Formats: sequence, structure tokens, C-alpha cells
Amino acid sequence: MSAKLTVDGIEYPLNTEKTLLENLESQAVKVEFHCRDGHCGACRCLLISGQPEYISYPMAYLRDGDVLTCCCTAKDDIKLATYR
Amino acid sequence: MAYTTFSKIPNDALKEPMFFGNPVNVARYDQQRFEVFEKLIEKQLSFFWRPEEIDVSRDRIDFLNLPDHEQHIFISNLKYQTLLDSIQGRSPNIALLPIVSLPELETWIETWSFSETIHSRSYTHILRNLFTDPSEVFEDIVTNEEIQKRASDIAGYYDDLIHATQFMQLHGLKQTETDYINLHGHKETLTLRSLKKKLYLCICSINALEAIRFYVSFACSFAFAERDLLEGNAKIIKLIARDEALHLNSTQQILNLWADGKDDPEMAEIAIECFAEGREIFMQAAEQEKEWAKYLFKDGSMIGLNEEILCQYVEYISNQRMQAIGYEAPFDVKSNPIPWINHWLVSDNVQVAPQEAEISSYLVGQINSKVDSDDLSTFEL
Repeated sequence: MSAKLTVDGIEYPLNTEKTLLENLESQAVKVEFHCRDGHCGACRCLLISGQPEYISYPMAYLRDGDVLTCCCTAKDDIKLATYR
Repeated sequence: MAYTTFSKIPNDALKEPMFFGNPVNVARYDQQRFEVFEKLIEKQLSFFWRPEEIDVSRDRIDFLNLPDHEQHIFISNLKYQTLLDSIQGRSPNIALLPIVSLPELETWIETWSFSETIHSRSYTHILRNLFTDPSEVFEDIVTNEEIQKRASDIAGYYDDLIHATQFMQLHGLKQTETDYINLHGHKETLTLRSLKKKLYLCICSINALEAIRFYVSFACSFAFAERDLLEGNAKIIKLIARDEALHLNSTQQILNLWADGKDDPEMAEIAIECFAEGREIFMQAAEQEKEWAKYLFKDGSMIGLNEEILCQYVEYISNQRMQAIGYEAPFDVKSNPIPWINHWLVSDNVQVAPQEAEISSYLVGQINSKVDSDDLSTFEL
């Protein structure tokens, strides 16, 4: 059983090696990005469930339940919602 | 209330608010109340660049071949950006350093302002290359009506705060012997709370500046470069945009820390009190930028960009930026009308230039003029 990435209610397979942003892009989900380095906050999404693992320090301001998709991966099922 | 360059109060900087606490004394970075400002300093220092590193010599030919209305777009944007960075290169220092209370935030403000001076220098670098005498362009900045409209709005919040802070630090807040006469010539009762309110609005205005004002010009510069035109300029603007993302991050941090009650509790109250006014500052900035787009394209559009698309982009980016500081998205635009711009905004930090790591053997501008015929012995035609 491979892990799953759920975004706005739609399930996609999750590649645990790639960042969540790269995962979304490889599934042709249109998401915003600017710096891809954790400081601009453009790729911010809402975390519904799951455990993101940051590979670099997320510098943008994160409220409770926010996740910065450009600089984290997930090892297991994760559910997100986009800000729209 | 007078400012002191080295306060002897043995305070604990971890317990100070960001602003209007005790003045900073020891510049120590081993501990931070808000770690993010230390991270921002490190990041900004790692981004260091010099305008002279970028070759803009080809831009002159491209510029001379542009039709008049495109030259107008290009030069007007440079003028506007020169204005913005003239303000940003000094104002955070003058307005915020006298009232800051955390060492990491103090140093961040200095680092931030310094990087804006590099931006200012890069506009001179670009313009010197385009014109034999760039004076006319610079001189127009203080007289051009379209630019002035924006300048007075941006500078207004800074000036209000600076003026009131200077009064407080000179006379204190009692006002029994000396009345405070504000910049508009009216008598005003100054309290610590009203000063904090001025600070809040000033940060809102800076945030709007970094969040959207720059992006209209960025879009135009990158649109030229998408057509392989003025690429030296676009390389410089790319570096500027990378820096601006950090500056924007810091003002978003400050506003959010206040609003979420993680800093001074009085600032959390002010954030609620000024919620509508803060929104209005943003909406006003968006409106002005749309007017600016109209002015840019008054004589005609450029390939890939026109007034309508640029206005949509202003709305789109305003939505994003306003959501980042806790406002509802005010505009209907749901998708980015110029998605190609994002590729110009990637920070590119994976590409490590030799001069970024400390390699002592790396020398700038060195050439070896000794060529022996043996050096070419392995060449085959």
C-alpha cells in the first residue's frame, strides 16, 4: 500500500522522496509557488491531517494548521486543502 | 523616553516586545525572542550580490530598438522602482531603529535597509548603461505627477511615525509644557498607544509596498525578458525580487505576531482596532498600482502584457498577500493571469556560485594572457 496525498478531497499517490509541492505539480494540480525556498509563503496550504516533515526551516509565518509545501515531505498519508 | 545608544538597564531581551520596550543594548544573537529574524538576516546575507556582477551592456541595443511606448514602459518602471528603493533604503532605519527593542530585529532592519541601497545602486548601474547622461531620468522622479501620487502615500505613514517618535524622545509624553503639533499643523495628544497605532499603520503601509507595489514593475521587466529583451535588467530585477520576498516576509511576520497576540498585548488590541484601516491601506495601494498600469500602457501595450492583464495580476497578488496577513481575499480573480512570472521568482538557492562559498582561490575578473601553442595541441579541426 503506497501512501496517499489528498488535496481538496481528491486523492493522489504520494512520492515520499519529493516535496509536497513537487508532488502536487507532478499530478498537474495548479498550485502557487514563488521562492521554493520556504521564505515567501506563496505555496502555503492548510493541513487537515498527517505529518509533514520539513527538510529546511519554514521561514514564512505559519498559523496553526498551515503547511508550507515547498520545503516539506511526508512519509505517510497526508490531507491538505488549498487556500482559495 | 530619550533614546540611548547603549542602555545600562540590565534587561532581559527575551522579555522585551518588538518595539517601544527598552532600547537594545548588547547586540547578542545567541538567543532570540523571535528566531525568524535571525534566519532572515542569515538568508539576506547569503543573498548578497553586487550590481556590477551583472553584464547589462547588451541592454542598450535592445532599449534603442524598442518602440517609443515600450521605452516609456521600461523607463517609467525604473523611475518608480528608484523611488520605492530610495524610500526603503533609509526609512526603516530612521523610523524603526529608534523604537526597536530586540537585538535580532534591530539587526534585521539594518540588513534589510542595506539591501535596499544595493537595489538603488543597481538602478544607477542600469541607467548609466542606457543613457550617456541619466540625469534627466533621475530628475524627473521628483517632478513626475504619477510617481508623486504614490510617493506621498508611502512616505506619509513613515513621516507621521518618525515625527511623533522624535517628539516623544525629545519631550517625553507629558505635553504639559510643550504641545505636540503634528505634520499637518494640528495639535495632537500623543500617548504611547497612539504612537503604537502610528507604528502599526506604518508597518501595514510598508507591507503593502513590499507585497504589491514592486510587482507591477517586476512583471514588465520579466515580460521583456520573456521576449529575450533587456535580459541584463531582468537578471538584476530577479535578484531584487528575491530580496524583496525576504523583506515582505519580515513585515508579514511582524503583523501576524501582533495580531496573534504573540508580542505586545497592546499591539494585539491595536491590530483589531485598526483592522479596517489596515485593509484600506492595502486596497488603496492596489488601486494606485492599477492606475500606474494604466499610465504605463497609455500609449500602447507590449507583447504579452497589457493594462487588463496587469490589473488582474495586481488583484491576484493582492488576494494572496492579504490572505497572508489574515484578511479575506477581496478580489474575484482565482488564477494567476501571468503564470510564467513564478519561474522568475524562484529563489535559485541550489545554484552555489564559487564566490558564495569561501574559496580563497576564486578571483574576480582574472585572466591568463599567456597562451602557448602547446595549450592548443589537443585541439582538432
